[in-house]
Amino acid sequence: MRRWLTSYALLAPALVLFGLFVLYPLVQAVRISMTDSTGIGEARFTGLDNYARMVGDPVFWRAAGNTVLLALVSVPTSVAAGFGLALLLRDRLPARGLFRALFLAPYVLSGVVVAMAGRWIFDQEVGVVDRTLTQLGLPAPDWQSSGAAAAVSVFVVLFWARTGLVVVLYLSALQGVDRDVLEAAELDGASRRQRVRYVTWPLLRPTTFFVVVLMVVEVFQTFDVVRVMTGGGPAGATEILVTYAYAQGFQARAEGYGSAIGVVVFSVVLLATVAAWWAQRGSEEVA
Amino acid sequence: MTAPRSTPSTPRRPRASATRRTVLGAGAGAAATAGLTACSGFSTDASGGTPADPDELTMITWASEAEVPAFEKLADDFAAAGGPRVRLQVVPYSQVLTAVDTALRTDSPPDLFRVSYTDVAAYREQGVLADLPGASDLEPAFLPAFWSAVTDERGTFGVPHHTDTSMVLVDDEAVAAAGLTLPGSLERAWTWEEFADVLRRVQPTRADTYPVAVNWQNAGAFRWLNWVDQAGGRLLTQDLDGVVEDDPGTLKALSFTRDLFRQGLTPPNASTRGQAASDLFLNRTVALCFAGDFLLAEIESGGFGYSATFLPRDVNASADLGGNALVAVEAGDKRDAALDFLAFCAQAEQMGDFCAAATVLPTRSDVDAASLDWKVRPDLMELYVQQAEAIRAPLVEQVVVPSFSAINVQLRDRLEEAFLGSADDRAALRDITEGVRSVVRA
Repeated sequence: MRRWLTSYALLAPALVLFGLFVLYPLVQAVRISMTDSTGIGEARFTGLDNYARMVGDPVFWRAAGNTVLLALVSVPTSVAAGFGLALLLRDRLPARGLFRALFLAPYVLSGVVVAMAGRWIFDQEVGVVDRTLTQLGLPAPDWQSSGAAAAVSVFVVLFWARTGLVVVLYLSALQGVDRDVLEAAELDGASRRQRVRYVTWPLLRPTTFFVVVLMVVEVFQTFDVVRVMTGGGPAGATEILVTYAYAQGFQARAEGYGSAIGVVVFSVVLLATVAAWWAQRGSEEVA
Repeated sequence: MTAPRSTPSTPRRPRASATRRTVLGAGAGAAATAGLTACSGFSTDASGGTPADPDELTMITWASEAEVPAFEKLADDFAAAGGPRVRLQVVPYSQVLTAVDTALRTDSPPDLFRVSYTDVAAYREQGVLADLPGASDLEPAFLPAFWSAVTDERGTFGVPHHTDTSMVLVDDEAVAAAGLTLPGSLERAWTWEEFADVLRRVQPTRADTYPVAVNWQNAGAFRWLNWVDQAGGRLLTQDLDGVVEDDPGTLKALSFTRDLFRQGLTPPNASTRGQAASDLFLNRTVALCFAGDFLLAEIESGGFGYSATFLPRDVNASADLGGNALVAVEAGDKRDAALDFLAFCAQAEQMGDFCAAATVLPTRSDVDAASLDWKVRPDLMELYVQQAEAIRAPLVEQVVVPSFSAINVQLRDRLEEAFLGSADDRAALRDITEGVRSVVRA
């Protein structure tokens, strides 16, 4: 009993903070999503009307499609690049500590700072990318007025900002890979590529699972970079669910509808995480 | 028999007066307390953080560098006239609605706040604002368009504190190079055809420069309605409950403004979600830009010569309703004192002083704008005063409806699709009206 009390006493600060800053707002968000709240005055209970509205809202579906596309492109790219860079940093590169810090720097910087830098780098009038491309005689994309170019610029900045964390996570996981196993594989004649493919990569599966979940959550939470770089434009080409929820909740004064979009984002991420966790657990049991 | 869980303690040393842990704990506690006490969010308390007076009024506002001292002077003068102190809580413009809404929702409302004309109705509809007593005495002194922005059949909910509107700013070098003569009066403003001709005569100085950028970015999509009103069109029906279908004036405005993009007369990234027109003017990407008078101080920092001329006209001369009202909160503890402050700010002398200091325009007809001591470009401010005469009631009534925040977001999104898309003009107009219809509340 006393041990039980001690455990909860130690957990209490974290539980209080979790309840206050995560659970309570979450419950409130669900409650508001079932009202016609504008953010001012009394709100009327409207049941599932906001969710029904979502079904027929083409902008919502476009934002959802953009979010999923961003996740499908950016998560595998960040994971692959992060893993590759971690291997390089572990084995070959001099001044590894410096490179680790450099790769992590964008992640620890404020998202707004990263996005502001991205906006200037990719500015279609005065940006360094277009200026350089023009000087090289190459076509300069319209980063702010072409949908595809804007999406690419957002992806590149997110990739730059997020991959550093993946590198660091893989680097620390690589420290835990048993060198005896790798040496045994080498003695059995496995090439370097085969050792990575058949030994290192499977051993890092728990880390990969964690990284993928983390990156998916990050993509679904992405706001600052898109808001600052493109504002969801041009013509909705980079609108994602969180920026759309913000626009509805705070600009269009449809707080109930904005909250409903937030609840959907939360539910999708939760379900995806649980599904991935079950898949991961199943594959470990088979192994 | 189990052994006791604790053994008899060894004799303790006398407790030190302050152990390291105590000191650290106390330090952390003191720091946290001081931090929490001093912190009032990310806002700036313009009163300097002096202890709160129970009679003091609180006012949430955003303010430019020039506006902060102008508001402080109003507060000081009100106190000198026997009123209570007014504590200004200055927040960034993008945060002001959130700050006000949060305060209202947590039953700690400010006594006063500053709000744009396009947002007044949303608060008025929810019964948040206090009705101004003696409004009928004040009304004759105000220009009708502004008074109507804070008034409905139930009362007058605030005072129209100032206005601002847009004009066309022109880079002097471009004027000289193109041999342009700028219209010097509202009556002689360029027609749309003349304006299009001017834009074609303004030659880009670099490959990446353009003739013009219009200020419909940054929640300014409603300024596109200037073009609609100039063409004699309407977005909303006369009863303001619906959207006008296939309006010829609206179609003409859409076609003309889309041509700016189609003919390469404006940068593609100057659409409604794009870069601010004034930024493009400041970095000399465009030779002409549409800009409000409140931006003159910033544009002065560009270090190049520029002039201003009137917005182009078609069937009508029309300009956008900019500016802000001051409102008092009905549920505020000191509602009557707050209303007194509003009445004080609405006096001709106070309004004139504020407008001169903040480079904005008065809303009272008896404030002689020509005699105001404008701090920035008084020569251009005289022109802005004339331009403000073109703010028309038929346009004002459409932008002060309670659902205008949502309409403005729809305009922003649908216009950008129209400007950058390839649908024909009629189809693009249908998309716009469909989007607006989805958020208009009857």
